[in-house]
Amino acid sequence: MSSENTKNVMIIGGGIAGIQSSLDLGDMGFHVDLIEQEPCIGGRMAQLDKTLPTNDCSICILAPKLSDCFRHPNIKIHSMTKVEGIAKKDRGFSVSLKRQARFVKEDLCINCGMCVAKCPTKVLDSFDMKMRKRKAIYLYYLQGVPAVMAIDKVNCLHLKNLEKNKNVCGLCQQVCPKDAIDFTEKDTIYDLETDAIIMANGSNQYDPTPLYAYGYKKYKNVITSLEYERMISASGPTQGHIKRLSDNVHPNNIAFIQCVGSRDEHTNPYCSSICCTYSTKHAILSREHDENLQSYIFYIDLRAGGKGFQKYINRAKNEYGVKYIRGKVAEIKIDEDENPILFYEDLDTFEVSSKKVGLVILACAMIPSKGSEKLAKTLGVELDRFNFVKSSIDSPVKTNVPGIFAAGSVLGPMDIPHSVINASGAAAITAEYLSKGEK
Amino acid sequence: MNEVITEEKSESDTQFEPKILGFLCNWCSYAGADLAGVSRNQYPSNIRVVRLMCSGRVDPVFVMDALIKGVDGVLILGCHFGDCHYGDGNYEANINYEMLNLLLKNVNIDNRVEINWVSAAEGTYFAKIVTDFTDKIRSLGPSPMAKINTPKDLLLKMKAIKQVVYDPRVRKLVGRERKITESGNVYNEKIDKGDFILLLKDALNAEYIRNQILLHLNEEPGSVKVVSEKMKMDTTTIFEHFLVLQQRGIIDVLEIKGFSPIYTVI
Amino acid sequence: MDDDIRIGIFVCHCGTNIGGIVDVPAVTEYAKSLPHVVFTQRNLYTCSETGLNAIKNGIKDNNLNRVVVAACTPRTHEPLFRGICSEMGVNPYFFEFVNIREQCAWVHQKDKKKATEKAKDLIRMGAARAALLEALDKYQIDVKPSTLIIGGGISGMSAAQVLANQGYETIIIENDTELGGQLRFHYSLYPGELDPQKVLSIKDGLLKNPKVKIYTSSKIKNIDGYVGNFDITIQKGEEEIKFTVGTIIVATGADVLKPVGLYNYDGKKVITQKELEQLIKSGGFNHKKIVMIQCVGSRNKERPYCSSICCMTAMKNARYIKKKYPDSEIVILNRDIYTSGTYQETYYREAREMGIIFTRYNKLKPPQVGKDTVTYYNESLKENIELNYDLVVLSTPLVSYSESEELSKMLKVPLDEFGFFLEAHVKLRPVDFATDGIFVCGTCKWPANVPESISQGYAAASRVTRIISKSSFSVEGSTAWIDQDKCIACEVCLKKCSYGAIARDEEDRVVVRTVLCKGCGACSTTCPEHAIHIRHFTDDQIESEITALMEGD
Repeated sequence: MSSENTKNVMIIGGGIAGIQSSLDLGDMGFHVDLIEQEPCIGGRMAQLDKTLPTNDCSICILAPKLSDCFRHPNIKIHSMTKVEGIAKKDRGFSVSLKRQARFVKEDLCINCGMCVAKCPTKVLDSFDMKMRKRKAIYLYYLQGVPAVMAIDKVNCLHLKNLEKNKNVCGLCQQVCPKDAIDFTEKDTIYDLETDAIIMANGSNQYDPTPLYAYGYKKYKNVITSLEYERMISASGPTQGHIKRLSDNVHPNNIAFIQCVGSRDEHTNPYCSSICCTYSTKHAILSREHDENLQSYIFYIDLRAGGKGFQKYINRAKNEYGVKYIRGKVAEIKIDEDENPILFYEDLDTFEVSSKKVGLVILACAMIPSKGSEKLAKTLGVELDRFNFVKSSIDSPVKTNVPGIFAAGSVLGPMDIPHSVINASGAAAITAEYLSKGEK
Repeated sequence: MNEVITEEKSESDTQFEPKILGFLCNWCSYAGADLAGVSRNQYPSNIRVVRLMCSGRVDPVFVMDALIKGVDGVLILGCHFGDCHYGDGNYEANINYEMLNLLLKNVNIDNRVEINWVSAAEGTYFAKIVTDFTDKIRSLGPSPMAKINTPKDLLLKMKAIKQVVYDPRVRKLVGRERKITESGNVYNEKIDKGDFILLLKDALNAEYIRNQILLHLNEEPGSVKVVSEKMKMDTTTIFEHFLVLQQRGIIDVLEIKGFSPIYTVI
Repeated sequence: MDDDIRIGIFVCHCGTNIGGIVDVPAVTEYAKSLPHVVFTQRNLYTCSETGLNAIKNGIKDNNLNRVVVAACTPRTHEPLFRGICSEMGVNPYFFEFVNIREQCAWVHQKDKKKATEKAKDLIRMGAARAALLEALDKYQIDVKPSTLIIGGGISGMSAAQVLANQGYETIIIENDTELGGQLRFHYSLYPGELDPQKVLSIKDGLLKNPKVKIYTSSKIKNIDGYVGNFDITIQKGEEEIKFTVGTIIVATGADVLKPVGLYNYDGKKVITQKELEQLIKSGGFNHKKIVMIQCVGSRNKERPYCSSICCMTAMKNARYIKKKYPDSEIVILNRDIYTSGTYQETYYREAREMGIIFTRYNKLKPPQVGKDTVTYYNESLKENIELNYDLVVLSTPLVSYSESEELSKMLKVPLDEFGFFLEAHVKLRPVDFATDGIFVCGTCKWPANVPESISQGYAAASRVTRIISKSSFSVEGSTAWIDQDKCIACEVCLKKCSYGAIARDEEDRVVVRTVLCKGCGACSTTCPEHAIHIRHFTDDQIESEITALMEGD
């Protein structure tokens, strides 16, 4: 394909699906604009410790792809950028993008960390599920790409006071050896022409606070699966040590409650597909951290249809002593030591029972990402009744808008292999769509 | 009360600081080491890294080379099993290491070579492994190969081991080990791993003895009795190995002195 | 010739990152003393425009032919500096990177003296290696812009459609008399009672497309070659047809298990879900009391996997029957219900609301199928329940075709323990094989439903397009090669290579097919004759680093 005829594809979302689509299309010779709202690409996979069923280190298998994306001659990463609007052209779209000010020049920052050391402000880190504090100037995550710092406008002392015409702090700028910090940077709005779009803006985790019976946010020792994922990560807030949040003590027993926020008419009726297996993963990894730790998984139906998943669950039962109890937990109470007590009916023995554990992990459903609804509305893309992007059985990556395709968990709860397949599939369909223009 | 006046110990440069050689694979352990750097996990500065694409590339000959030159400790670091960028390079690294370990037990240097597995996400763990290994080697003291006057018989034995891992026989065995024990040989028979290891140990032992014999004969042609005495082994065993070497065409009788044939390397 | 080696060493301060711990001026001064070093320089930020220009000028003014940069980790900027070397006419493989930041200054902050000593040692090692580096080129191979798709089911056809529509020559080989695969036997597809013929209609587009060649009633006889140039021989009846393609997609599908010996399966009164669909399609269905049993022949010791589509299929059939015959009685005996995904759960709820009964049985107490009744142990009532039936439908898993084994040998790609094709990496390369140029999609890889099979077909097409959209396929220069003077053709390396990169050539010599080699080096580590050399990581180069390390004392 000659360069004058090079078509452009915009991929919204830099998670594993967005990255895979970018790499495939970039390799095919298309120019790709990868739009990512966070300071770094990587998405959910960067937050995971290990991936099932092989228990590969997640960042180890993701990092080469991040690197390939960054160095690819055909891929341009637009970090800290969101889609504001879209207009249809004769061929393709004109997309209006808003790039949030980073306040750090990407081509100058060498990621030396001197600014972070000096910054006086501590902020709860959303990458670490607010279990750790970062500074107002920060690297989104250690292996992040682009490996450049960003300043959190909302919490930065200097920026907050600038509006009041006061000159406060600014220590980072003083110590930066490359003069990379620019407090005068503004959010920029710019237009980008593109021939096709792939929506790959991923999903979020259901917030179980409304489920009062489980006591999330009320009881310290009831946490969500993503929080647990960060806890068992070697590079996470506790360096991989499993600790109760109430007293930092190592628990002896932990319990996983499945279908939190899913398979439930009151929250979300659909099944989130991946939770049975990822709770199994958590239980296995927990046992590897501590061979005396006993895990209980409270489930309704065990879903293990993916490749190697059933065997993974069998291993958990046979080799790691994980106990699977069929029964939905009705309520959690705590004792004086803040040990959660779970009340449930065992549907194999039909006995009502209770179990006391040290820590409870709620396996929460994948829900459409924040902003997904707005983005879909902006693009004119139809959503299904759960607010995932609507697709059909015989054209799984197409949306109702010609030239706009979708990949990954924006279509529905999806594990990593499916997201990668989906993403490659979307790349192929996009390539097919773009080639039609020439024929 | 007696006052004991002790002299101030001189600066830390009189304390032994081991020289550690590290073989790191590009995709996991080297990345883990980089992460330790980014996270500023401090560790002792003794390690010098050679970067390779895969731990499966670490030839035992390199390790022997390093040990003979006087490196105090060798650390081989690869990806965790199942994570190898090239599929199973780390499994191969492991069996190479296990083979070398068996040989090094003959000279009590096996505790100076270690293999371990670090992922790209384990910066802190990398620093810990390096620290622990360095501390261990420091407490073992300098390698006997590092001394100015290394015991002659140790040097000869180390050279013999290097030759064992250099020569074809053992390389063929280890090269085929996983295939034969996991999938099957050319007759589609799967050999039990335990049986294979016994076979390997026999081969290692035999070649180790034979290479020592060759090195002795290279220094000075000699009889079975003379070489047996030098090696502190019984003449029957040594004689059997002499015969094999003769059959292989590597040594032959030079002359007869009294009743003893004197052999030399051809 | 030795005199020809002219090494330039550039030591980076990286601001105070390195310079604050390592005595960069001392290290740079030390570097001057190293063999073959004709130029040394220290820079504040070697990766900046100023630093890059300094390297360019250094190369130009001193006729450098080897460049060593001592700075951060090669994992970030190696391509950048290699690019600069190329620009200045120095082969990029003559560039050597020494890590004195992430693996020196940043981790030995408490002892600057020792960090400096370490930096000197590392540079000495790097310079010794640089002197032995060789000029290498990326290896290029021509690629035929065409694909062979083995299997004409929905997955294979989806891949074909995407490729042919982009204008690429696509060949489909199908061993049945017509295209369509398993989809031909369904009367509707869940969840919306979609007509399979609508989905299969892509067949028409393929039959009309001039870029597509279809061979039905044909089998593969032989496959030779490698990515870019696969030589294929197929057999159609009496005729043998040969052609060459650039890439291959395996889409041979799967079969529905016939559970002979289980639950009194007889194909008449006790049938599989597939047989039920065929019965419905042919109009031969008129049963009133139906008992369905899930997980027959799956999730057991023999096949410890879940076939993922059987629960939905059973529900689809049950819902159809219940809708058409509202007074029919349908009981679905199950161990777990698999309805993962957005619409599946609602489908299940609706099925229950229609009056279809779902009851659990324990794996250890499977139902007993008698002549007219099915007996199962009900956990909540704690007693055996007898169900009268006039039809028992067994939900069996998808299993691999026995022909997969022969095909896998021909392609030299692996199968897993269940006979399904084994992809390169379950998570990140789910439609690739480890062997370049060959891909896999659909149920021959693992049970999948229709949208998954279609997605996989598209994904395989994408992976193929990446290769055939370019006229050549290139690999990094750091590959293995075999010295034929030393090689004794023992094949230890051939059997060891995970990528199938080593093979016998036309003259029966054991050679490395460079285009497939990833440069891992496992082959050379146990070559009995030391005949295999790994470019850019040769024995000499590695040993020079060890020697340089120890000679510093």
